[in-house]
Amino acid sequence: MTVGETLLWVLPLVPTVTAFAMLTTRDRRILSALDVGSSALLLALTLILAREVAASGPHALGVLRVDDLGLVFLVLLVILTFAVAIYTVGWLTQAVAVGNMQAKYLRSYFALVHLFVATMVVTILADNLGVLWIAMEGTTITSAVLIGYHGHHHGLEAAWKYIIVTTIGISFGLFGTVLIYAAAAATGVQGSAGTLSWSAMMPVASTLDPGIVRIGFIFVMIGYGTKAGLAPMHLWLPDAHSQAPTPVSALLSGVLIKCALLGIIRFQTIAAAACGAAFPTYVLLVFGLISVVVATPFILAQHDVKRLLGYHSVEHVGIVALGLGFGGPIGTYGALLHVVNHGVTKALAFFAAGKAIARYGSRDMRVIRGVLRVAPIGGTLLVLGALSLAGVPPFSIFISELMVLRAGIGLGHSVAIAIFLAMIVVIFAGLLHHAGGMAFGQPTAAASREPESWSPLVGMLLLAAIMVVLGLGIPASVDGLLRRATEIIVD
Amino acid sequence: MSADTVQSIIDDLGALLLFTMILIVAAGQIYRAIYAVAAQSLLIAIAGGVLAAATGNVDLWVIAAITLVVKATLLPWVLHWVVQRMNVRREIEPVIPIAGTLALSVLIVVVSFQVSASLGPVRQAITGNALPVGIALTLTGVLVMATRKTALTQMVGLFASENGIFFTAMAVSQGMPLIIEIGVILDVILAALVMTIMVLRVRSTVDADIADLDRLRG
Repeated sequence: MTVGETLLWVLPLVPTVTAFAMLTTRDRRILSALDVGSSALLLALTLILAREVAASGPHALGVLRVDDLGLVFLVLLVILTFAVAIYTVGWLTQAVAVGNMQAKYLRSYFALVHLFVATMVVTILADNLGVLWIAMEGTTITSAVLIGYHGHHHGLEAAWKYIIVTTIGISFGLFGTVLIYAAAAATGVQGSAGTLSWSAMMPVASTLDPGIVRIGFIFVMIGYGTKAGLAPMHLWLPDAHSQAPTPVSALLSGVLIKCALLGIIRFQTIAAAACGAAFPTYVLLVFGLISVVVATPFILAQHDVKRLLGYHSVEHVGIVALGLGFGGPIGTYGALLHVVNHGVTKALAFFAAGKAIARYGSRDMRVIRGVLRVAPIGGTLLVLGALSLAGVPPFSIFISELMVLRAGIGLGHSVAIAIFLAMIVVIFAGLLHHAGGMAFGQPTAAASREPESWSPLVGMLLLAAIMVVLGLGIPASVDGLLRRATEIIVD
Repeated sequence: MSADTVQSIIDDLGALLLFTMILIVAAGQIYRAIYAVAAQSLLIAIAGGVLAAATGNVDLWVIAAITLVVKATLLPWVLHWVVQRMNVRREIEPVIPIAGTLALSVLIVVVSFQVSASLGPVRQAITGNALPVGIALTLTGVLVMATRKTALTQMVGLFASENGIFFTAMAVSQGMPLIIEIGVILDVILAALVMTIMVLRVRSTVDADIADLDRLRG
């Protein structure tokens, strides 16, 4: 067994073992140490795996497989997990102090977070489309408990809506998977009773029956699209993102919805080979445009800062869908880059918003005023995150949005581009208005003037550094990874 | 068994499955919906047994047995237990009248047959009318989830929807690989467990149905 193959089964095991180890202790310091240690280990192992893949191509082991496409998402996942672990140390002290988290349930909270991470690792590494589905439903179950973790009935309401809506959605995904499996089994080319393996299906994808793949892809698109937060199936998203504990919100918005996008990309490549590229393009463009348009009025009228970030994720998932839909090397590269940029930036924004919420004791943006006065570093990071989310150069999101736009213009999708541009401009103004109000002005009396604690700041600075670096120029190693990933999708 | 016999048995079972689905949609009391979904799972298990006997595929026997134990017995029993424990006064609480949902489900069945008829050649690989029945079951289950205001009825809709997918998978390609089917069932059990805990938790703290909470808007 090579290093790459060993890592394939070790990677999901690290968070799983950590989760069970955490159940044995109640000491908060040990729990936090395990949290940070295990996340750092996961990060290190992923970087080793990335080097292996760059050197000797994809590795496969049973139902798991890693290629450059999966690596893009895996690297994003482990970086955010690491940042979340650091942020949680300081966040937890404060949350326990005000009674948002109860000290005696902390170990199950940490264990669930790591199980959640483990299911996402399997989702990303799954080669077998059935395993992909099972892991995706696993993410729903673990994260639903986390969303309701604060235990008050708003949280439980959001958790219920989340589990019901995404489970309905994901049922469609399974149905679509079954149909595509049937199409693959009908060709009979696959040997042993037709596997669900994506890598085995791809070479014969062009011989699959287009009729059944078309229906299957629509089911999959609705199914995984629900989990990705594409409108009009996004109903769970603002509630879940606003009610979950802040570190969980960051993981949901930063990685989970991206994992669902990876699922869509896998099926998109099959559908493009079987029915021609025009069909998945059309479906993705429709869902992408609906998402961007639907999110806009809610972003403008929002007062709850975490709901604002939630609706904003709907918009950005829409942008990724548009990039994938426009396709071609530029659009696909832009979409993948946007996945990374949005993941990092949105996690940073949730972190900064979470600190501001703790300081003011409210999620209402009319109460949160003058953050820069009471918390200069946290406030600066909040402004930077908001500027980047709005798409201001030189931050990273500007680059990827520009690529998606260029791909759309180059391929002559003028109507889609016109709608997209109009919405982007409106959201840009709306977001800067909200962020400006929060950052400047007179702090309300409710604001706490405590000094800023170090650990959330370290977590945020890590993400801000990545955001700035990716905006100034994409490092050669990242660029190579994204290029190879693009080739997998575009062929 | 000859292929024709198998096909006619599967078609008959498909008709019965649609009938149980109508019972679920029409049920005015939660108990009836639970019994109907248990009967539906039993039919799925029988369909699995028939296909297993016809094709000699051992995996299908296993899937049929698991369906019988988990979906036809265990999950309905859990639902039944929760209903008794919660002492539900309000029963089904449809968002739109039951007659309306029945009309919609008829529409779904018609559309499902239309869609599968348009497929042509692929249907040769599929046993009888299993594909339209599977699509209809899945979509009607979703309809039940979307049009009921009580948490337990939504869970019944979820199980019915899952039944539709299993039936399609069996008839379309003799079931997915065994390990996948087991994983899917495991997910269904875990999801049911988490949902049950949430329902009981909300019931004990604010004495309301979790599916009826609607504070989060905008």
